[in-house]
Amino acid sequence: MVRARMAASARSRRVGCRRVARLLLIEDDAETAEDVLGDLRGRGHSVEWVATGPEGGSAARRGDWNAIILDRMLPGLDGLSVLQELRRTGDRTPALVLSALGDVDERIRGLRAGGDDYLAKPFALGELAARIEALLRRPVETRETVLRVGGLELDLVAGSGRRGTRDLDLLPRELRLLDYLMRRHGQVVTRAMLFEEVWNYRFVPKSNLIDVHVGRLRRKLEAGGEPALIHNVRGVGFTLSADD
Amino acid sequence: MIDLFRTTAVRWALGIALWSTAMTLALFGFVYWQTAPFVQDELAHVVRHEVLYAAQQPDAAGTRVEAWIREDLHSVHFGGVFGPDGSRQAGNIDALPRDLPPDGEVRRIGTRVAIAGQTLHEELWSAALTLPDGRVVVVAHDTDEIDRARSTVLRALGLALVPMLALSALGGTVLAARGRRRVVATQAAVARLMHGHLNQRLPVHGTNDEFDRLARDVNTLLDEIGRLMEEVRGVGDAVAHDLRTPLTRLRTRLETSRERAESVEEFREAIDQGLAWIDQTLAMVNAVLRIGEIEHGRRRAAFARLDLAGIVAEVAEFHEPVAEEKGVSLRFLPPDAVPSIEGDRDLLFEALSNLVENAVKFTPPGGEVRIGLHDRDAATLIAVEDTGPGVPERERAQVFGRFHRSEPARGSPGNGLGLSLVSAVAQLHGLEVGIGEAPGGGCRVTMVWRRD
Repeated sequence: MVRARMAASARSRRVGCRRVARLLLIEDDAETAEDVLGDLRGRGHSVEWVATGPEGGSAARRGDWNAIILDRMLPGLDGLSVLQELRRTGDRTPALVLSALGDVDERIRGLRAGGDDYLAKPFALGELAARIEALLRRPVETRETVLRVGGLELDLVAGSGRRGTRDLDLLPRELRLLDYLMRRHGQVVTRAMLFEEVWNYRFVPKSNLIDVHVGRLRRKLEAGGEPALIHNVRGVGFTLSADD
Repeated sequence: MIDLFRTTAVRWALGIALWSTAMTLALFGFVYWQTAPFVQDELAHVVRHEVLYAAQQPDAAGTRVEAWIREDLHSVHFGGVFGPDGSRQAGNIDALPRDLPPDGEVRRIGTRVAIAGQTLHEELWSAALTLPDGRVVVVAHDTDEIDRARSTVLRALGLALVPMLALSALGGTVLAARGRRRVVATQAAVARLMHGHLNQRLPVHGTNDEFDRLARDVNTLLDEIGRLMEEVRGVGDAVAHDLRTPLTRLRTRLETSRERAESVEEFREAIDQGLAWIDQTLAMVNAVLRIGEIEHGRRRAAFARLDLAGIVAEVAEFHEPVAEEKGVSLRFLPPDAVPSIEGDRDLLFEALSNLVENAVKFTPPGGEVRIGLHDRDAATLIAVEDTGPGVPERERAQVFGRFHRSEPARGSPGNGLGLSLVSAVAQLHGLEVGIGEAPGGGCRVTMVWRRD
């Protein structure tokens, strides 16, 4: 849990622009709630905390939230029921479901109930923060087929990339990896997020496997002696940010 | 005493005694039933013959009857010749028995006879015939002989019954006591087991009867329970051991940093190191929990029809950069066309990923890891082969157990849970997992899906 604060400070140095978000946390475990509150507030978000299902439901309806974090097990009213009720009224506020049950079945249930992401306890605060950030800044679905970050250019139709004037020789997986990182440039993405979104598998692989893939991509990006684009965020993951 | 009668042993003893008594009675009944008519038939035959003989020559009838009476030494022969008016002309029967039809058939009747000047009432087997001149000739034989035969048989039965009962009661008791001794011995063994002496086994007598077979089955069950308990204890020990190492290191590191670290950077470094050890520990605990979860088959919601070749190709691709960095060539052999499988793609990917990761880890630089997907004899087979040191035959049975780490793996990172997960995933999917030797001496792990 401590690591997330570390990461927060590490990240705040790199990531300049950040939107302040209004977040609702529905969580009955006071200790978890305090850790999460401290961490997210430390990142500059404004977070409100309620501890029961019924309270959570009314708070969710009342407020104008950028995202909701809710526990699966809540006193009074189950977290998934709160979420389902909210979705029935047409509220599409991004929601992240927390659960002590790491079971795949549970995850599927959470997503079916209208959750946008799911995180099993115990989690690293950095992981939660990165996923909240991803929910807050979901890339707009564009028809654009060429992505540009700084001097980096990715042509999705041609399947080719360029850095400045230098053509990059990218494997299909590297294209997808770069695609994902570029759409979320400036955000921290965790290894688990990469594995889910780029490889489409769900479990936590040995960290060095993802690192090796990222490392290989990074070497290709910097082969011409250019400055680094992909940065390690210690203990959390990676971020792609244009050199400014 | 009441308890004694409730025991199976005593009930058995009584049951056996009653049963053998019933059998004896039935046997005697049969002998009696067969013997008495036989004697009676013999006698009837003689009497029927004698009356015919006497009636053959009407003139000599009287003489012949007298001769029949005379040749008898035991006063058991009787006879008489009666005039048409019923008066006695010869013989020792007082009067013509009224209820004896003169048809030559033998009947049992009671009548008065004169023996040695005395007149007695006797039960006789008699037959009568009418002579041409109207006289009636009667020949008879005492019934005492038959009655004696009958009473002899009955007496023998009565006399035999007492020792018979005693013997069968004794036999029943002996048999029951034997059974009871075995029950008592088994009870004693069970009592020891219940007191925690888990190495105790039920006694087996070597007679291979059902009692022995039952005891042997229970003993096999106890062996299996013992083995599982050993395994659980082993897992517990291993978890404790694997927790202690990073925790001890963490403690030492925190302690020294607290005393010696001067700058924020130094503290930060100590904390990062500590976090890495905690992550490693958490990963192990999570792995143990996940394997348990998978083994309990609680993860079937994500089951869908899957293209195995696609998953295997992605596993190969996922590990390719690591293999390349190490100088190991990773090859996914051209796969056979295989039918789609019902399964959880995340778990299958993870299991295969563990196999490939192991293969790459144990293959020295310059070596090769081959991943194959074959279709043979109604079975789909995934094989991962390497050119590493292989797994010695005696270790092969254990590698899928939790926390097993082979000798060459002791020094390298890992927690000995990778293959346990493979085994759990295989079990969830109904796949057979096996380990053997690859051509060239490396290790070959296979997952087989039999479609029949």
